[in-house]
Amino acid sequence: MRDKFLLAFRSIRERKARSILTVLGIAVGIAAIVSLMSVGYGMEEAITGELTGMADMISVMPGEIRAHSYVEKGSFTDRDVSDLQRIGGIKDISTMTYDAAEVEYRNKRAPIFVIGRDTKELESFYVVPVGLKEGRWLRENDYKACVIGDRVANDFFDEVIHVNDKLVINGDKFIVVGVFEKGDMLYSNDVDPHIFLTLRAAKEVLQTDEIKYIIVRVYEIDEAEGIAEEIEEVINDNHGLDDFAMAMTMGSMIEMMGDIFNIIRGVLVGIAAIALIVASIGIMNTMLMSVMERTHEIGVMKAIGAKSSDVLSLFLLESSMVSLVGGVAGCVVGVIVAKVLSFLGSTASGLEIAAIVKPEVLLAGIAVAVIVGVLSGFYPARKASKMSPVEAVRYG
Amino acid sequence: MGKAETRKVGYTMIHTENLSKTYRMGDVEVQALRDVNLEIKDGEFIAIKGPSGSGKSTLLNLIGCLDTPTSGAVFIDGIDTGKLSENGLAEIRREKIGFIFQQFNLVHTLNAIENVALPMFFAGVGREARIKRADELLAKVGLGDRMYHKPSELSGGQQQRVAIARALSNDPEIVIGDEPTGNVDTETGNAIMVLLEGLNREGRTIIVVTHDAEIAAHAGRTKRMRDGRVLD
Ligand SMILES: Nc1ncnc2c1ncn2[C@@H]1O[C@H](COP(=O)(O)OP(=O)(O)OP(=O)(O)O)[C@@H](O)[C@H]1O
Ligand SMILES: [Mg+2]
Repeated sequence: MRDKFLLAFRSIRERKARSILTVLGIAVGIAAIVSLMSVGYGMEEAITGELTGMADMISVMPGEIRAHSYVEKGSFTDRDVSDLQRIGGIKDISTMTYDAAEVEYRNKRAPIFVIGRDTKELESFYVVPVGLKEGRWLRENDYKACVIGDRVANDFFDEVIHVNDKLVINGDKFIVVGVFEKGDMLYSNDVDPHIFLTLRAAKEVLQTDEIKYIIVRVYEIDEAEGIAEEIEEVINDNHGLDDFAMAMTMGSMIEMMGDIFNIIRGVLVGIAAIALIVASIGIMNTMLMSVMERTHEIGVMKAIGAKSSDVLSLFLLESSMVSLVGGVAGCVVGVIVAKVLSFLGSTASGLEIAAIVKPEVLLAGIAVAVIVGVLSGFYPARKASKMSPVEAVRYG
Repeated sequence: MGKAETRKVGYTMIHTENLSKTYRMGDVEVQALRDVNLEIKDGEFIAIKGPSGSGKSTLLNLIGCLDTPTSGAVFIDGIDTGKLSENGLAEIRREKIGFIFQQFNLVHTLNAIENVALPMFFAGVGREARIKRADELLAKVGLGDRMYHKPSELSGGQQQRVAIARALSNDPEIVIGDEPTGNVDTETGNAIMVLLEGLNREGRTIIVVTHDAEIAAHAGRTKRMRDGRVLD
């Protein structure tokens, strides 16, 4: 057996160029599987990670979702908020008001959505993930100060707005104290086109006491569903309607987004399947070529007395050694490519994606390399070993 | 090397019965061999001559168990080779016959000594014994100083000597050469024939195909072939 290993090894080493090509062919296929799967897992994790960071949150809105669009039925009152404070398990309640306002900057006007809310809440919600490009975040005792999104600063007016510039919102002068970075996929719609104020300033400038949105944070994520139902009951009672309020836990929002996750998973599985097929075809091709061009050698071995099984076992040993090396090399390259891809992806999308290398993906990659490699080496080797020695020797 | 010497004088080592081979390529049939009946005695040195395409290689391949006949039979040392399995045929090729090709057909990834040892490897001979015998055989064909050279580093004549040493690896009673001198110069060709004569003196049965009358003169008996038949 040891002699067979040595002989197979000799044959691999002496055919350096061909062996390297074969190893490369296999490695490329396996690298494709490993890198695509690792980046895919990383993407899934990045998105769920962003959402689970908000898992303790319940969004309460005065209205309902009908046929995929939100229908507002009014607004909450201060009494609603104080009633909610009596429900157990709630850590924190913050209210938010928002409306479109007319904003003027250097004689140019535009309608822009203004959002007012507890500054601490907004900070953990938007400032932490998105970040500020200029200036500072709002403080609770700021009055005529605002922080603006990226598109407000760059797109909505003729001139770019910077910190310390002044905006006129519904006739009141505000000073810009901060400018957001451009938001990534998840945040760009929520941050980029908006102006953020303290709740007090927003109520004043929008001339409203209306509360359009309540965000509740709970202590125990497990209890969120039950608390959400209680919230709906309390507020519906206050307004004498069955379905005035809609309280949605992050969990149920994620569920609503389930479609997206199914699509992501589907794409992942599809990518893996394609990578697998491409890899297998590549491996088959290189193996087939490298064994077929040795039909002559197989014929010579048989002519000097080798049995078909001798030849076959030699070639299988050789192809499994080559496949194994190719598989391992493919895993190494795949991991590197995955890291590079996820780095480039993070830079391009702004979403923090870290490639996740699962051991089972590596094992599967090596298994695919060896199984496909050996099987596709087996077929031509068997065919050649079944030829009569003259026929095989004549070949090539 | 005494296996052959224990047999009676006049023992028939090889004989063929109505041996025929037809190649079929699409609609075209080529009758390469027609009803050949040939008897070769133990210890004979026979040369086969004939024009190109007369069926010489076809005959040698069948006798050497490298190919199977369309009809008829080949008996080697009394064994009807048509009744043997694939592995049985492999064993005959390995143990009883040493085949020398015009194109040498060495395994080019292996060096001289490894090429010579290869038939012993397939016979399951241990590593030490293989190397010892391959060493002796290379010395015998005059290549004691070229043992670790690759075929690509050897001249045609040297490669053919390695091939002869390889053919002797498992000490066969029969050595078959299909134009073993065809790809080397006249001088080397003569040296190779002298080597084969030596093998014949050891008691081995030698069958050689050649175009060259001078080469054929080394043999004890010459047979001529034409159109797939052996002439008298
Ligand atoms: N594999 C094959 N397929 C088809 N025809 C073949 C095959 N091998 C040999 N033949 C034909 O069989 C006939 C005998 O061929 P063979 O090789 O035995 O001749 P030869 O006497 O050895 O010739 P040469 O002196 O040129 O080597 C020729 O007509 C040849 O074309
Ligand atoms: Mg010929």
